[in-house]
Amino acid sequence: MSVAPVIKLTDVGKRYERHDVLGGISLEVAAGSRLGLIGPAASGKSVILKLVAGLEQPDRGSVEVLGTEMVGKREVDLGAVRRRIGMLFQNYALFDFLTVERNVAFPLERRGGMTTDEIAAKVAERLRAVGLAGSEHKLTAELSGGMKKRVGIARATVADAELVIYDEPTAGLDPVTTQKIYDLLSADQIRTKATVIAVSSDVIALAGFVDEIAFLYQGKILYRGPAATIADAPDPIVRQFVRGELEGPLEDVRRDAS
Amino acid sequence: MIGDKWVAAVGAGGMKIAQEVGGIMILSGQVLRALFPPRIDRRELVKNLYKMGNRSVPIIVLTAFFAGALMVLQAGPFVKKFGATSLAGYGAGYAVLREIGPILIALMFSGRVGANNTAELATMTVTEQLDGLRALAIDPVAYLVVPRVLAMMVMLVALTALGDLVALAGAMVVARGMLDIDWMTMYHSFADTLKPFDFLLGIYKSIAFGAAIAMSSCYFGVAVRGGAVGVGKAVNAAVVAAAVSIMLLDFFLTYLVGG
Repeated sequence: MSVAPVIKLTDVGKRYERHDVLGGISLEVAAGSRLGLIGPAASGKSVILKLVAGLEQPDRGSVEVLGTEMVGKREVDLGAVRRRIGMLFQNYALFDFLTVERNVAFPLERRGGMTTDEIAAKVAERLRAVGLAGSEHKLTAELSGGMKKRVGIARATVADAELVIYDEPTAGLDPVTTQKIYDLLSADQIRTKATVIAVSSDVIALAGFVDEIAFLYQGKILYRGPAATIADAPDPIVRQFVRGELEGPLEDVRRDAS
Repeated sequence: MIGDKWVAAVGAGGMKIAQEVGGIMILSGQVLRALFPPRIDRRELVKNLYKMGNRSVPIIVLTAFFAGALMVLQAGPFVKKFGATSLAGYGAGYAVLREIGPILIALMFSGRVGANNTAELATMTVTEQLDGLRALAIDPVAYLVVPRVLAMMVMLVALTALGDLVALAGAMVVARGMLDIDWMTMYHSFADTLKPFDFLLGIYKSIAFGAAIAMSSCYFGVAVRGGAVGVGKAVNAAVVAAAVSIMLLDFFLTYLVGG
């Protein structure tokens, strides 16, 4: 018996002003798996993540997440499925009116069902895991970019969500911290068996974390396959992007270089 | 050709105003929906009541004192000339309670609290904090906008009442110190001639002004587009919209109920 996918996008189209960002994408992510999304800038990677979280609505197609159709739903009706999702935003989206500790505690406080002591213990454990013990009472404005990113990761993973979305989890971090973060995310995913979808520009580091990678280009998925073999993908555009070569059929590179 | 451009510009301006008024109406509807049944974060409400109300007291007291004082100072030479010192308090009180107090305090409140509120919400919008709330299944309108709207409306009424008292005190101090009109004459001039409705009209106006400032400042905050430049434009638009709304509401309220 086949298990229903946690994420199922069917012929999803999204247009911003006159630009088709997604041109009929179909994508499935199985329960407990890790999928990485890569592609040139403005290829629609973050848009897919926002569609999955119900933060954007597509112009056409269907977006099914954790068994719930997200399209055409009112905000209030999306609450139940959003409580089962953890999300790290590209620009952190930390609440600057709260301390580090309260930012991480926020999802647990709002969800209810835990005592204050249980929340405090869970938050302390998460902050230790991301290397931010001792920063509990700082405001987010007092943190560096890397520290903000780690607070965002702690907040996204604190509630042991069934689906975790990472938008650039290691952008702006040094290689050692990047590896530490991916080790942490990996250990978390093994513990919680959550489904993970992650966007990153650091293809090599991402490939070490995810099982599969999908390559987005001009609103379409050009490649989907094992992360380990993406550098040898049959499509020359995918190979050029992953290998970082200037010469090749990738239009954005040729245009930017000229 | 110039005529065509002029018509196009007027049309575009009209469309923009209609879009913004529509946006404020939709947000007002969402705020009302969050109030019945109430879905208000008490911690946010208390924080905003303090931040918007208590911290505005010094500037409101200062403004109101000199507004009242100015009324008497302007009327002073004529009052003296015609020997009508018993009417000095009436003139100042009538103008302060019905017009000058509510308008001046609302404009000060808009500049201090409304602009700050727009900047805060706009910054939160452009840094995806509102999306962050939505991703955690929290309605940003119920969590952030409703407490701010309630706090602004409640605190503007309270500050207007306080400002009225301070303005009358300012009028008495100037009447005594600069025009040599004694305290009791001024007191009787207020007490014997002003009616409770003069005070209530100002309070009614402050309720309407509070709603206008709150809704415009919140709308331009959550509807912002772009980065830092967008935040600046949003603050500017909110302050202008609030000032225009205050003047329009004042005219219609005075015309309809203040005659």
